[in-house]
Amino acid sequence: MSDELLVAEIHAASVRREQRSMLARTARKTILPVIAAAIVVVAWEIAVDASGIKPAVLPAPSSVLSATFANRDILIANALPTTLETIAGFILSLSLGGLLGVLLTYFALVRDALYPNVILFQLIPKVAVAPLFMLWLGIGWESRVAMALFIAFFPIVISTVSGLQAADPAILRLCESLAASRWQVFFKVRLPYSLPFLFNGMKISMTLAIIGVIVGEFITSQQGLGYIILFAGSRLETATVMAALLVLCTVGLALYGLVGLVERIVMTKFGH
Amino acid sequence: MAASEITAAAEGFVRISGLGKVFRREEGSVQVLRNVSITVPNRQFISILGASGCGKTTLLMMLAGLESITSGTIEIARQSVTKPRRDVGIIFQDPTLLPWKTALENVLFPIEIFGLPLAEYRPRAQALLELVALGEAMHMRPRQLSGGMRQRVAICRALIHTPAVLLMDEPFSALDAITRDELNLMLIDVWERYHQTAFFVTHSIREAVFLSDRVVVLGGAPGHVVADVTIPFERPRAPTLGETLAFNRICGELRTAIAESTATSRRDHTAAMRAQA
Repeated sequence: MSDELLVAEIHAASVRREQRSMLARTARKTILPVIAAAIVVVAWEIAVDASGIKPAVLPAPSSVLSATFANRDILIANALPTTLETIAGFILSLSLGGLLGVLLTYFALVRDALYPNVILFQLIPKVAVAPLFMLWLGIGWESRVAMALFIAFFPIVISTVSGLQAADPAILRLCESLAASRWQVFFKVRLPYSLPFLFNGMKISMTLAIIGVIVGEFITSQQGLGYIILFAGSRLETATVMAALLVLCTVGLALYGLVGLVERIVMTKFGH
Repeated sequence: MAASEITAAAEGFVRISGLGKVFRREEGSVQVLRNVSITVPNRQFISILGASGCGKTTLLMMLAGLESITSGTIEIARQSVTKPRRDVGIIFQDPTLLPWKTALENVLFPIEIFGLPLAEYRPRAQALLELVALGEAMHMRPRQLSGGMRQRVAICRALIHTPAVLLMDEPFSALDAITRDELNLMLIDVWERYHQTAFFVTHSIREAVFLSDRVVVLGGAPGHVVADVTIPFERPRAPTLGETLAFNRICGELRTAIAESTATSRRDHTAAMRAQA
């Protein structure tokens, strides 16, 4: 083994060591917040018990848990459409936002005509537009998915545009010298370089898609966790409201985690 | 004598004739090359030497088909160069490796772009990497390699498709002196084996003399050929060649040629300034 291979090996070993200490840091970073949250929940339980505050105002964590258990069938039945509509809104955002991002990057005419409008459009407080969707698309899932798309679309556009411009100019020159086609440059260079940007955009977009669906459920009042929250709230069943929130958090975390998981898998191939 | 020169010119594998380059910018146009003519026989190793700003990199980029030609012509194998050709391999100043590909995959990148069968070229890629002592590092990614190792990967990548012409744009200028000497030896080793027509752009006189069969000095503003020197040393060349008297005499001649050309261009510049005033 030559000297520099030895150096490379030592380098690799130090990278491994770094990864191990990162593992310790990650463990610390997951365990500490869980302990902190647990302390708050326990304090909350004790405070509600001690103060005798009305459960309609603030239920104890234990009653939230029992409300979750008691209403599990309704909660699951309503979590399902919320989840599916969020996924639908997200996938639509990803495909349409990605497409617009590519068009904006590759066609100067499209960019000059649309980009300022896209930015301006972004400034609309999107929740305020929700009643319009109900007017146009009715009270079915179409309205809620459209709302999710409307909210979650922009981060994908922006991250696609900046990601596709992130490729190393020297690599692009190499491709030019090899007479690579535009398709090859797109798929073999620009797209892999854009992935970190794209995944950041996807994480934001997934979070926004959930908000979009919940707003849609508030407005259309048909089904879903948003509807449960609204309905239980109007009947002062605060524990049920919080149970629905708990389920909603779980759904959100799972969907966000799913994006993170795909990111990790893809980035082991396309990471640096 | 004259007749034999004409035959030699006709047989030139790479023919640069009357080449000029003007960059047009909003602030006005700048002429960087004027009437450059160089005829290079097949399999010659030629260095283009000159101070920074003499247009040597521009000349190389025009050879690569990456820069447009303002006047004159460039021919490779009797075909005029107007766009990048697939029988040319380039080594840039920076290694320009794709960070997510291993050394081996980076070497095979041109094959991937050309749509040729990867499996067929993999043994050649491996052989090239072994030749530059990267046999054990071929599955590492650029992040894990040193600067010198990365540039060696770039050498292999430029040679993977057996190009007829190899173009090098100060490929070792970003490396430290020791690594640079090492890579020069490695390059000469590889070149003596494959023996393409090679253009090596550099501002290092010793590097040019050590590597080349011939050194062309570009100088002045706009740049033109100010010296064209044949390097007589036999191959394979020993690392100790640089310590010989003959080697240092040629380096001295070239140094004088460069110094004279910069002095002339400075005098011209001053004269032009006076004329303007």
